[in-house]
Amino acid sequence: MERTTGREKTLWTVGIFVVILYALIPVLWIVSISFKDPASVTAGDTLWTKFWPQDFTLDNYKGLFEGGLDSPLLAPLINSIGIALIATTIAIVLAAFAAYAIARLDFPGKALVLAGALAIAMFPAISTVGPLFDMWRTLGLYDTWIGLIIPYLTFALPLAIYTLVAFFREIPWDLEQAAQVDGATPFQAFRKVIVPLAAPGVFTAAILVFIFCWNDFVFAISLTSSDASRTVPAALAFFTGDSQFTEPTGNIAAAASLVTVPIIIFVLIFQRRIVAGLTAGAVKG
Amino acid sequence: MSDRSRDERRLGWMLCAPAVIAMVLVTAYPIGYAVVLSLQDIDLRFPEEGGFVGLANYQSVLTSSLWWEDVFNTTIISIISVAFELTLGMIIALVMHRAIFGRGVVRTSVLIPYGIVTVVAAFSWQFAFQPDTGFVNQLPFIADDKAWFGERFSSMVVIIMAEVWKTTPFMALLLLAGLVTIDDGLYEAAKVDGATAWQRFWKITLPLMKPAILVALLFRTLDAFRIFDNIFIMTGGAQNTESVSILGYNQLIERLNLGLGSAVSVLIFVCVFLIAFLFIKGFGVKMNEGRPGT
Amino acid sequence: MVGRVTSIVALLAAGMTLSACTASQEEGAGTRLTFFVFNEPSGAFSEAATKCSEESNGKYTIAFEYLPSDADSQREQLVRRLGAEDSSIDILGMDVIWTAEFANAGWIQPWEGDLEKQVTDGTFESVIEGATFEDTLYAAPFTSNTQLLWYRKDRVENVPKTWEEMLAESERIGENGVIQVQADQYEGFVVWVNAMLESAGATVLDGPETVSLDQQATEAALETMARFASSESAAADIDTSTEDTARLSFEAGGSSFMLNYPFVYPSAKENAPDVFDQMEATTYPAVVDGEPSAPPLGGINLGISEFSDNSDLAFEAAACLVQPDNQLTAATLGGLPPTNEDVYDSKEIEEAYPGFSDLIKTSIENAAPRPVTPAYTDLSLAIQSALHPIGDVDPEQITEAYDKLKEYVEQAVKREGLL
Repeated sequence: MERTTGREKTLWTVGIFVVILYALIPVLWIVSISFKDPASVTAGDTLWTKFWPQDFTLDNYKGLFEGGLDSPLLAPLINSIGIALIATTIAIVLAAFAAYAIARLDFPGKALVLAGALAIAMFPAISTVGPLFDMWRTLGLYDTWIGLIIPYLTFALPLAIYTLVAFFREIPWDLEQAAQVDGATPFQAFRKVIVPLAAPGVFTAAILVFIFCWNDFVFAISLTSSDASRTVPAALAFFTGDSQFTEPTGNIAAAASLVTVPIIIFVLIFQRRIVAGLTAGAVKG
Repeated sequence: MSDRSRDERRLGWMLCAPAVIAMVLVTAYPIGYAVVLSLQDIDLRFPEEGGFVGLANYQSVLTSSLWWEDVFNTTIISIISVAFELTLGMIIALVMHRAIFGRGVVRTSVLIPYGIVTVVAAFSWQFAFQPDTGFVNQLPFIADDKAWFGERFSSMVVIIMAEVWKTTPFMALLLLAGLVTIDDGLYEAAKVDGATAWQRFWKITLPLMKPAILVALLFRTLDAFRIFDNIFIMTGGAQNTESVSILGYNQLIERLNLGLGSAVSVLIFVCVFLIAFLFIKGFGVKMNEGRPGT
Repeated sequence: MVGRVTSIVALLAAGMTLSACTASQEEGAGTRLTFFVFNEPSGAFSEAATKCSEESNGKYTIAFEYLPSDADSQREQLVRRLGAEDSSIDILGMDVIWTAEFANAGWIQPWEGDLEKQVTDGTFESVIEGATFEDTLYAAPFTSNTQLLWYRKDRVENVPKTWEEMLAESERIGENGVIQVQADQYEGFVVWVNAMLESAGATVLDGPETVSLDQQATEAALETMARFASSESAAADIDTSTEDTARLSFEAGGSSFMLNYPFVYPSAKENAPDVFDQMEATTYPAVVDGEPSAPPLGGINLGISEFSDNSDLAFEAAACLVQPDNQLTAATLGGLPPTNEDVYDSKEIEEAYPGFSDLIKTSIENAAPRPVTPAYTDLSLAIQSALHPIGDVDPEQITEAYDKLKEYVEQAVKREGLL
């Protein structure tokens, strides 16, 4: 561990500050819009007055929660969280199995699986929506959670598999054997040696898959028709302004700001596990 | 074949099976159907017409100047945004990895852009750059009534900026995970040998991150080529900023010309496939091999 | 671990219960008829639906299935279901431009006999024209919409009747004399183009597949548009202007003229009272001196799905929905102009359009619908590509623009190539 000089500390502070600003200014802008009264949306003539609300209002947020369970945002939020969590869990499990096999075992067809997965990820989703709609209506999966979980799985698996394969490749598998020689049971060896090494890859893949499911619009708008399964991105398309031609900018910004909170929580929790799996001394010897 | 390798094969297939089934079951019919449609002349609004036309749709698309313009636009946007994303992503990943304090805050902040609903992000960028409602025109050196989306260059700039901002976190995250797996011991040894920070970066960090960089670049470029939301919301493809995805959308959904629309989709797929092929060959990383030496 | 599994199972259960719940929430009597339409913000449509359900005495209940707010997204959702011959749609709220397309595709049923007479009795000719395809009525006119010329009475001295006068007046006013239109690359632009062409005496199509576009008249219209677009009277962001940005800019104060739908009136009242106090309306400006202008025509018509299991009841319900009473509610609550001429004689209409209800009536009378053809989206895309950005059209070389427009439109009706 080196001592950090005062100069290094300042550099880091500045660096971190810059990175956070770059990431968050547009987010602040969205939050700012959510507090703007529709009448004052064009007010202001300097950088400061145009950025921040001139007429602060909570109306945009209040409108989101009117009506309890029928409110425009509550049901879609529940749908989004549930569907994304379930799809992510299943995707990571399936991808981990496949990635383990591809990275570690030898069997014909590996390249085919990888190529096939890539091909699926590459095909424009919009073309698949029509036939998928037909299929789901016939099977009765239309407007259900499963109806969305399945396509999300399908299109998230390639990314998950590739990510996990890339990380599983790097794991020195003979560590397992070494640990066993040292007296650990196979399960202990797996748990204490392999799992920490696999963790960064797994949690990275989990975050990416979750956000993919969370953000999807194309499938959500076409494979759902009611609050039974409609997710937040699709629900936003149903927000109305005061009239047919008025954009509900404030409401949408408010909804988007609120909906980011679950993401923040999810990421905050998961990113802690993206740390070096090798602690000093675990590998040496 | 030995029993052992037969067992290994069986285990391998069994472990892959669930994922493969999940992927193929859902996409086999839609993708197959799209390909079949592309070989027909079929317009939902004119049900009496139609029939097998072979490659006529492909001919229409490939001889159309609009298609090639859009391919050009898409390529430019992809190359520039991915280049920025890789560089910025690497810098940010290093910050996320080595930050001496506030690591959790930095990492979470960096990922928030990626987690914001895409359509809303695009809308807010547009809002920010419009003369009446936005604040960008109040920045120094910019005309108060500059119409950013009124001409091609400035539209592209905004679109690329929005794209880069939104998806750099994706790169940064994958690169971070790659950084994290590098054994610190290697750096210690290199420092003892007298290597500078720059040399350590080029000779140790980058080579060991190759797989992570490949996955990040590959998937990011595939997605970049299919850019849709940002362009659709900001310009709708006007001012010659249209991408191939918007072209496909226009034929498939606006004109309900399923034949042409599916042909465009298949051609987009072919383009993206070529890109992937080039990447994988170029990187020389064999994904299906285990780590050399195991 | 166990905790995690339990919570996932709980979530799954919650999800499925929610879907079961919504399915059984309809309390009304009789057959459940689904009405697919966008969520009209003022609730006028809901009121009409409740009224009709009650008046049916238990025969049917009209249940809403909401569509996204944007017209193109609505069409996408409807087409997906109709293309799949889905029986879940009974009544659809259609934008006026979808009639020919849906009719030709065999997705909506014709209105005939007594019901046809009932829903067109007293309706504006222009509106009926937009709902007819191949001499058959395919949709019941419900609400309409049209544009007026809104101006600042504190700045404008001579209220213009033609584009020439308006441009001159705008120049006289100077910096704040901007004229707001809709010229982004989208359907709103085609609305403006069509209004200009028709006002000049040209028409885009003579029949579903025959291009008209009289050269002299078209060039007159195009030239006016091009001259305007490259003048100081055009907003700096004209190439991305929409109904809403036009409204916002007008409310911000820098413009003196605006061509827009009546929704701007209650909006200004609430959001920009200073501007509202100076706001007046007059007819859409003419292109040719002496010829009345042909203002844009919008609105919602009701169609009955070909695949509905309850066609008879659906026709009945739709006929009830479009009754003049309900049209009046749509006007007073939601500001949507009625399609029935007689409604304009009622007292309440003044509430909705204080001082300009007659203007709206005349506007709709003189309005020209956009071309009625099954290939409408092709046509729209073609017009957009040919003329956008309008600032790039050279008023001195107007024949070039005419040729390009004609070429694109011809290609569009033949539905060839990529657009």
